Amino acid sequence: MKKVNLFSIGLLILVLLVFAGCSNEGETAGGSEEESNTLVLAQAADIPSIDPQNSLSTTGDRVHRNMFSRLFMWDNELALQEDLVDTYEQIDDETWEFTLKKATFHDGETVTAEDVKFSLERVMTDETLKEYPYFKQLKEVNVKDEQTVQIITEGPMPTLLNLLAKSGSDILPKAYFEEVGIEGFQEKPIGSGPYQFAEWIRDDRVTLVPFEDYYGDKPKWEKVEVRAIPESSTRVGELLTGGVDIATDIPPNEWERVESESGVDLINGETTRVSLLMVRTTEGYVTSDPKVREAIDLAIDQQAIVDSVLQGTGVPVRTRVPEGVFGTNPDLTNTRVYDVERAKELLAEAGHPDGIDITFTSSRGRYPLDSEVAQLIVSMLSEAGINAELKLLESSAFLDEYNSKSNEELIMIGLADGLLDASYSLVHYTEERAAGQTDYKNGEVEGLFNAAGQNLDEEERTEQYQLIQEIVAEERPHIFLYQNAVNYGVSENITFTPRLDEAIRFDDLTKK
Amino acid sequence: MKKYLVKRLLQIIPVLFIISFVVFVLVYMAGDPVALMLPEDASESDREAMRAALGLTDPFYIQYFRFVGDLVQGNFGTSFRYNQAALPLVLERLPATFELAAASMVVATLMAVPLGIYSARKQNSLVDLFITGGSVLGKAMPNFWLGILLILLFAVNIQVFPVSGRGTIVHMILPAITLGTGIAAEMTRLIRSNMLEILNQDYIRTARSKGVSSNILVYKHAFRNSLIPVVTIMGLQVSHLVSGALITESVFSWPGIGLLLVQAVNGRDMAVVQAAVFVIALLVIVVNLITDLIYRLLDPRINYS
Repeated sequence: MKKVNLFSIGLLILVLLVFAGCSNEGETAGGSEEESNTLVLAQAADIPSIDPQNSLSTTGDRVHRNMFSRLFMWDNELALQEDLVDTYEQIDDETWEFTLKKATFHDGETVTAEDVKFSLERVMTDETLKEYPYFKQLKEVNVKDEQTVQIITEGPMPTLLNLLAKSGSDILPKAYFEEVGIEGFQEKPIGSGPYQFAEWIRDDRVTLVPFEDYYGDKPKWEKVEVRAIPESSTRVGELLTGGVDIATDIPPNEWERVESESGVDLINGETTRVSLLMVRTTEGYVTSDPKVREAIDLAIDQQAIVDSVLQGTGVPVRTRVPEGVFGTNPDLTNTRVYDVERAKELLAEAGHPDGIDITFTSSRGRYPLDSEVAQLIVSMLSEAGINAELKLLESSAFLDEYNSKSNEELIMIGLADGLLDASYSLVHYTEERAAGQTDYKNGEVEGLFNAAGQNLDEEERTEQYQLIQEIVAEERPHIFLYQNAVNYGVSENITFTPRLDEAIRFDDLTKK
Repeated sequence: MKKYLVKRLLQIIPVLFIISFVVFVLVYMAGDPVALMLPEDASESDREAMRAALGLTDPFYIQYFRFVGDLVQGNFGTSFRYNQAALPLVLERLPATFELAAASMVVATLMAVPLGIYSARKQNSLVDLFITGGSVLGKAMPNFWLGILLILLFAVNIQVFPVSGRGTIVHMILPAITLGTGIAAEMTRLIRSNMLEILNQDYIRTARSKGVSSNILVYKHAFRNSLIPVVTIMGLQVSHLVSGALITESVFSWPGIGLLLVQAVNGRDMAVVQAAVFVIALLVIVVNLITDLIYRLLDPRINYS
């Protein structure tokens, strides 16, 4: 009896295995009509929240951007375009009026001025929302009539339209949201974008299906799956076997594998993230002397970092406002001032002919190749007689040290710009924000920054920001390294152009 | 028996409290969750405002007492990451983990029983040496390494199985082998040594002298009796299953409780870490208790009074 049981169990397993093998074959070799019109995207992390105003992440934005609409959007060329807005005018320095297009939410309701008021007021007032800090300059949102809404800002706000295109300014359906509450909304979120929510299995995938009544161009894909695959070798494995069409964040140790395989391409894109060294200008630190800071800058060969460690991905810069972002200073991109001999002289002039000792903090594993870059910088600095003691910290310990401002002379960090406007980055050089970190103080920078923040004349504002960047590049509270790249592994069947803001609009991708 | 059961059940409460305290302290020491929620260049006042909104500015003991107070009412708090109650988030992951655990137990049993019996019968042969050696290797092999290797071999190079995810029964095979191998290794060794011990006992020798065939001897008399310790080890393996699931689920993007816990620790999502550890601890304790009871049923000589 026992024996029969064992035998039959064994047989059952065998049958299951055979069956399994068959069904799998069907899956991979399938290529049926339905399969071919499905887009699968794999990211390194799950979306943090389905609530677009409480996400604040690239991974979440890639889903939200296709599910929700905002008043404005960045097109492929990163030019600001009207999205839900039909026409708009600026009434006075602080008042803007927007007329909405005729659009519907996924539940069939019309997008009205009330919805805009509700959505913006939610993110303006709820402190627990991650997007809240960005919306503090909005003062009032008033409904003029069903399709017209007025936004009043706290003082002139040249970046209003950028903000209205940023994550967090997504328009939510007021009536539905109030009816079901945040819990219900998270179960079944409703937006007015080209794709609507089908399913979210946490830590697994978000599934979206097209919204036929979308007010813009008809959505292209019959189904889009955004999968979360944290383990990078698994993500690459899925890409190589055709399980996913695009895999984001390919780590450097997998670049060669992806490049060498046929059927997939490794595509590099630029980001707004700039790696830089924050320097203490505080009295009592050796780096309070501008000559020492200049020596450190001159001792570092940014081009060599990009060419060797980063394998050509990344752009050497001398500013935190990269090309493509409003207010950039083109003179400071793709340039360097590397000169070891001059660095040694500067140290001698500053009274340190025998070199200096400093402490340098860097993260390990927070940004691609961060610890390798830090080690290369240490050896470059030593060439000029700067003895840097490297402190490599794991990501969360690093953040604790950075946030508590307990680092010493140098700390290396990568900072991005979510607003695509120089004001976002340059606020670091105001006395208030620099306090305790770089302790940088410059009256001229302060004046220029405050003036630009209220300046509605684009040309003049650009000049003001460019001037700030020149001063900063000269005085070096930050020593800039390079603009970070991001890597995507992309199936050859898909045409994909990476964007500076790392967003992906599903309908910009096409099947070859 | 009843007294024993009540005592064991009462013991669960302090154990769970100690575990939750330890986890609370560890997550608290791991640092500020807000630092991970806002971008690097958020200003100090923005971080402070968010900390206050989430109740993270209170001193440690107040946070802990609030946590315990909620816990007693069955409330684990709200996930920072998903902005929803933590416990349902954990419970909805259980089926996936159970599925994987059951599949790996099946894999482990299918590997261990024949190998264990065979190597006991051919003690000290080359095959026995191979199996015993192999089981040491299987036990020592890290899960993530085996998982990545299996993916490379059977999903990327020879495309028989899907790389990752949960769906059909095919998706289950590679993760189940990954998780089951370590357990199979332990079970094989145990079955082998039990079989050896039993095969040398008087009643087997008697049966053999009576002319009972070798197969009946092994499967009917010896194997059945060697199963008792195997049941124990299966119960004890539940904790191994859980710790293995943390890694296996991460490698295969298997949306179970292990992956949830790893992601929650990465995001310092206190409520979810607590709820997940709590549920896992409870599971391990209950399974161990059940194992004890089954053990008693299988072997009436054991007396708990």
